[in-house]
Amino acid sequence: MSAAPSQYGEIFDRGYHRYDGPRLGQAHAIWALARYSMARSLGMRRPWTAKIIPMLLYAAVAIPVLIAIGIRAFFPAFQFLRYPEFFGAIFLLVGIFVALIAPEMMSSDRHDQLLPLYFSRPIGRGSYVLAKLLATGILTLSMSLLPAVVLWLGNGLLAPEPLPELRSSLGDLGRIVVAGTMIAFYLGAIGLTISSFTGRKSVAVGVIILGFVLSESLSLAISEALRDQPDVARWALVMSPTRTVMALVGGLFEEPELSEGVPVNAALGVMAAVIAICCVIMFAWYQRRD
Amino acid sequence: MSDQTGHALSIETAGLMKRYGSVVALDRVDLAVPRAAVGLLGPNGAGKSTLLKILLGLSRPNGGHARVLGRDAVADGRELRMQIGYMPETDTLPDNATAADFVSHMAEMSGLPHRAARQRAADVLYQVGLDEERYRLVKGFSTGMKQRVKLAQAIVHDPELVFLDEPTNGLDPLGREEMLDLIGRINRQLGILVVLSSHILDDVERVCDYVVVLDGGQVVASQPLHVPDDDTADLHVRVDGDPEPFLKSLEGLGLVARPAGIEYTSDEFIVARDGGRAVDAIRDAAAMTGSPLRLMRPATRSLEDLYVDAVGASDGARSQRRASKR
Repeated sequence: MSAAPSQYGEIFDRGYHRYDGPRLGQAHAIWALARYSMARSLGMRRPWTAKIIPMLLYAAVAIPVLIAIGIRAFFPAFQFLRYPEFFGAIFLLVGIFVALIAPEMMSSDRHDQLLPLYFSRPIGRGSYVLAKLLATGILTLSMSLLPAVVLWLGNGLLAPEPLPELRSSLGDLGRIVVAGTMIAFYLGAIGLTISSFTGRKSVAVGVIILGFVLSESLSLAISEALRDQPDVARWALVMSPTRTVMALVGGLFEEPELSEGVPVNAALGVMAAVIAICCVIMFAWYQRRD
Repeated sequence: MSDQTGHALSIETAGLMKRYGSVVALDRVDLAVPRAAVGLLGPNGAGKSTLLKILLGLSRPNGGHARVLGRDAVADGRELRMQIGYMPETDTLPDNATAADFVSHMAEMSGLPHRAARQRAADVLYQVGLDEERYRLVKGFSTGMKQRVKLAQAIVHDPELVFLDEPTNGLDPLGREEMLDLIGRINRQLGILVVLSSHILDDVERVCDYVVVLDGGQVVASQPLHVPDDDTADLHVRVDGDPEPFLKSLEGLGLVARPAGIEYTSDEFIVARDGGRAVDAIRDAAAMTGSPLRLMRPATRSLEDLYVDAVGASDGARSQRRASKR
């Protein structure tokens, strides 16, 4: 690249050079695409206006956690924000966050006609979808799981005896991980799947939000209509992402009033099935070659 | 020209078929294209883009097979795509990214480590004349600058072969000149094989050594450019003074001369070679009439002649087929 250094510095040859360095594999390409997609979704290396909404949403999730930890520091006996309340409070914010980042992940590539460029590179179509799932999963986990873990750590470390407190609340940590991870991938998969079908971000955002609202209304209407058959009616509730998530959180943290009679295993099963179906749809959609 | 894979041919296809519903986009395409700068010509709908898509692994053929740089375009697609670059015709750039970020990202997508990708992006953008502008958002770029970014992303990972789909689309005359110079440099100085798909004959003539003409999904010509076949080409002849006696004498010897074309002077003619007889006959006619023979060389056919002949013959054959079906 450069000539021999002299006392005056180096002279660089800016001419074209053949590349004989390493060429890394699929995992590198997947991670590179995931990293690039995450950065673009958060507005990094883009005008400041693209950063505002993601930063506001992060602040909206972080502030209650920080307040709860602050209160805990001064009033150790008082628990301002319990975990089920935390998940109930952030669910809507995570939904908005997904409606924001998923179209940026998928619709932008369609809009900018980048898919032929990506698919003419070594990365395969399946790997492309995997990279997008990874990017969405990581970002959504940073909203749904990370603040809850910080809250758990804060609660433990500010207790009169931190280590025994952390040890005794390991069960809570497990429940937090399950709830946070399932919420992230459940909402992320739905958002990505919807965004895969359009190159217009505004349409994708609208359909995601409308989908959440309509599924909520539909599930309520059906469960109301089946009021006389409560065993059947409770299954209508899992049509709504909100109620499914609440059923999961209520079941995990043993708060039956949140579950509305839906067993935790059923909520977990529905969420896992939705994630799997969304993945199958996306993989099949991107395998189409013409 | 580099030959990293050791294959004499850059592109080989055999019986390549592609249908979209009832429309046949490629109809049993057989090609054996040498390692050269290749021009892919044809009218709209000829099958150029479809052929490129198949060679890039973006589309699956309905029949036959295609090999690029000795690798099967379907079975070895991943390995092949590490060795090739692609500059699409469409406007495929993210508006809200800087040129440096995007080109570097595309280098990483081809397997280059992060630091190497940043370095190569800077070098390649310098090569295409975007050194100063590389940290600007693409949305502020002119059409010519966007074409350069597309070219940079196609060669940033140092491919052995690059497919360029209508690279001069939308460029003004100066931009077009610069783009063709760049492409010529990529091929001749940097040693990257080029496949240039275009409907502009002049672009292909300026850059390429070999041409493939498609029409109606079929190959109607596949041959080198600029290399006259000395044994079979007609003869280009010029005589000083009044050419009439010379032409009459030639006619007497059983040969017909036709004007060389509007780009030549009126005393230049093309004489059909007629086996090995024409050279002697021209010499004798010039000697008999005392016409000073100033030029006698194998006639080169312009790309335009080749294209018109190939596509015209193909249209004629198609009409004949249609008529016989009726």
